[in-house]
Amino acid sequence: MNARLALVAATVLLGAACGGGGANSSGSGGTAPPTPVSRAEAFQLLNQATFGATEADAERVMNMGVEAWIDDQLKRSPSLELPRLLALPRPGLLFELQPDRVDAWFDNALHGDDQLRQRVAFALSEIFVVSQNGALVDFPYSLADYYDVLTRNAFGNFRDLLEAVTLHPAMGVYLSMLGNEKPNPAGNIRPDENYARELMQLFTIGLVKLNPDGTPQLDGNGQPIPTFDQSVVEGFAHVFTGWTYANVPDFHTQWPPDASQSSPMQLWNGYHDTGAKTLLDGYTVPAGQTGAQDLEDALDDIFNHPNVGPFIATRLIQRLVTSNPSAAYVGRVASVFDDNGAGVRGDLGAVVRAILMDPEARPATRLDTDGKVKEPLLRLTQLWRVYAAKSDGGRYPIDYIWVFFGQGPLQSPSVFNFFTPTFAPPGEIRERGLVAPELQIATEYLNTFGSNFMFWQIFYWNWQADRSDENITEDTVLIDYSEEAGLAGDVDALVSRVADKLLAGEMSDTLRNEITNVVGQIPSDQGVLRAAETIYLVVTSPEYAYQR
Amino acid sequence: MKRIDRRQFLGLSGAAAATLASTPGLTFAQMVGGSAPFDDYRALVCVFLFGGNDSFNLLVPRSDAQYAVYAASRQNLAVPQGDLLPVNPLTPDGTDYGLHPAMASLQNLFEAGNAAFVTNVGPLIEPTTRDQYFEKSVLLPPQLFSHNDQQDQWQSLRGRQSSNTGWAGRMADLIRASVAGQQMATNASLAGSNLFQSADETFPYVMGPGGPLQYDGFWSPPHRAAFEAIVDADYASIYERGFAEIQRRAIDAADAVTAAIESAPTLATAFPSSQLGQQLQTIARLIAVRDQLQMQRQVFFVATGGFDTHDNQVQDQPGLFADISESMAAFFAATDELGVAESVTSFTQSDFGRTLTSNGDGTDHAWGGVQIVAGGAVRGRELYGVYPRLEIGGPDDVDGGRMIPTTSADQYAATLAKWFGISDSDLEIVAPNLGNFTVRDLGFLG
Repeated sequence: MNARLALVAATVLLGAACGGGGANSSGSGGTAPPTPVSRAEAFQLLNQATFGATEADAERVMNMGVEAWIDDQLKRSPSLELPRLLALPRPGLLFELQPDRVDAWFDNALHGDDQLRQRVAFALSEIFVVSQNGALVDFPYSLADYYDVLTRNAFGNFRDLLEAVTLHPAMGVYLSMLGNEKPNPAGNIRPDENYARELMQLFTIGLVKLNPDGTPQLDGNGQPIPTFDQSVVEGFAHVFTGWTYANVPDFHTQWPPDASQSSPMQLWNGYHDTGAKTLLDGYTVPAGQTGAQDLEDALDDIFNHPNVGPFIATRLIQRLVTSNPSAAYVGRVASVFDDNGAGVRGDLGAVVRAILMDPEARPATRLDTDGKVKEPLLRLTQLWRVYAAKSDGGRYPIDYIWVFFGQGPLQSPSVFNFFTPTFAPPGEIRERGLVAPELQIATEYLNTFGSNFMFWQIFYWNWQADRSDENITEDTVLIDYSEEAGLAGDVDALVSRVADKLLAGEMSDTLRNEITNVVGQIPSDQGVLRAAETIYLVVTSPEYAYQR
Repeated sequence: MKRIDRRQFLGLSGAAAATLASTPGLTFAQMVGGSAPFDDYRALVCVFLFGGNDSFNLLVPRSDAQYAVYAASRQNLAVPQGDLLPVNPLTPDGTDYGLHPAMASLQNLFEAGNAAFVTNVGPLIEPTTRDQYFEKSVLLPPQLFSHNDQQDQWQSLRGRQSSNTGWAGRMADLIRASVAGQQMATNASLAGSNLFQSADETFPYVMGPGGPLQYDGFWSPPHRAAFEAIVDADYASIYERGFAEIQRRAIDAADAVTAAIESAPTLATAFPSSQLGQQLQTIARLIAVRDQLQMQRQVFFVATGGFDTHDNQVQDQPGLFADISESMAAFFAATDELGVAESVTSFTQSDFGRTLTSNGDGTDHAWGGVQIVAGGAVRGRELYGVYPRLEIGGPDDVDGGRMIPTTSADQYAATLAKWFGISDSDLEIVAPNLGNFTVRDLGFLG
């Protein structure tokens, strides 16, 4: 057995000894003291597993150990969005609630004590994409509830998540399964293929057959092997007929009651196609079943496809830890998807645990391909968490955030997410056959726009202490760097404090020297300006944009 | 949202906006070697219709017999025969055609000879018949009917190769020595990263729908110097290096382009307020300052979405089509106003056409479709290619009204590339499958 295989075996054994680490399992004996965790390692874990590492959370990780911190997080109950929207008065035009939905998202992302659950829900929202931008603009209750479904199921079973997503009216509207009906040959009408295709292509198995480690299977000519063809899309399209909003008088209702926005779709068997359907790899759903039976069989067919483990493992690793995981890392996580150690397939809590506990999540020696580009929205939430961002009104109703960062909660431009998992920018990354998905939205334009948002955040808004400017409202989010401003007489102390808070103290010499130099040119009695310059140059730097 | 007025903000910061445009960085010209320049200016503008445009409702047969076939296939999605806006090609193919009633401006552009349609064009590796499709006796582009894969096919023409460059990117690489004096990259996008402009040797420049942005704070020279030194530092990870490279390109391009576009004349031509209209207006302003930026060859990428009409197609199509029609007509008028209509060609691409059959109130992913080319150099008021027989189960249908293209996206691209100045011997670098087709030039550009 070579060293790499030995490592895999050890990891698998370790996983098994811990009982699979599902949401209700916190390890077996648990009396051994935790492995010591450095401050840098704690920050690294927290930037993978939360909306931005803070010193307080790092202290907690260092006290508890990585494993106990993760297991504690896996037990946290979900912070939700829908109850907050329902507590507000209903506006005449429902799209006016979208800023309130975004407010709820930011509040949970910044302050929820279920940080890992929130971060995984965000990752899932970038796989099972629905969006405010499009048909759902008038469905804020639906979007909030959809996000809550992802949050509640983040550590649950993938099969349950699949069914909850499939029957959610937000997905029903977004990918037009809602209102999809059996064929009408006289009118050349056949079932809608939208959800059928994207469910397979984007959410579960992908377009080509995978090995257990996520690498593509190749045929005798060295070509990848498709997972499905058009006939399979049509088979699933026929399965997904007969569903519409809950509690409506007419199958074709366009404007459901508010409550139906957040209730699973209901089946009208009269609109369901009862023929036999050929699904993946020749599996056939028999004729004559109800729509509910067909749906169960079809989702089981997908759930049990061998691609799901490596497909979901790759995507979740890319969202949480690294853009370029080794095949072995994918294989280790996929094997946990296939069996959590207790014979259960699809245990997402165990999958998340395996991703974060893997040696590649905190490698002893860092390769230049380890880690990833920090998602732009997370560059903002980290800053906000570290500097206690809040508006005078206590809210974050910033639904236009995607304009600056190319990203916002449930605000993708299409079902293909803000960026694709395979994006490789021209230059070194492409030439080496690597990927960096987040760089798809790090264009010249968006990098500048996002940096300028930071500029206004750090300099301009925070200077308006008397709130006299008309652009400062009770919804303008302000950050608190008074501690830094107080330190600013000592430039070295100032820069070190910011480095500790935002970079776990791991600041490059260049960044430290350049900031020290430019801040030194600002008069020493301008403490706020010195602090602002320091924080701005850190949060726009390549090293802050890098998630280690 | 509350808008922050940028000048107002800079005023508060005590800086003059004019000083923003100082200290140009390394220009594009300095990065590549010089060579014989072109002696004229030409620009291509790709209008990408994201989602897959149902273009057999854009250009529709109007003659009774052909309309009957169309109406039988399309059923509840058919445009009423009497609503179609007649178009009169100079070279008729025996059928009368009309445009969707939302496209009066495009009708005028066509009738005036400044626009043409390429019918039933789509990704192909080699000529493909219905029998060959079912016998699997020809090579087909991979993952037909998948959005991202077919967008990639249109943008890259890579067929079954794994190339990561786009056909506009390869054009930019081919001419890079001839455009060494340009102050801005040959390829510019106003709609984000795209495969179309991606290249091995050159980088596209991505600006916003309203043009380039500069880093706020650069009015302070020490601040700017620090920012640039941080960007230019050596980094250990590929992610930091990749991020820093984009920041560097943003800094380099913004100074010159911002200064130039701020000096652009105000255009009399009014543009629609749509995303597409605004992007095209910005391009018109950039073209107006082409000499200041020493531009000789440019490829612009703009885009608009909403074409994935699985639902509510009848309700949504008029708005989508009106936007294309009004925006492209306004853009032509602006180039005419600037006296460069002969030098600017705009053209559409889209993921795929859509099924002729309905899924109830919309359509699904298909293959071939109709594309629009417009500009003073276009041999307009003509249809290029063969309009298919819109029959379910007919000779052009593979399933449910998915039309097999009879003209390839490679032929379409090669025709545009040849006009752009790519030599005949290099056309197969731009359009790698061109050699599989007899006609290398569709003839729609003079």
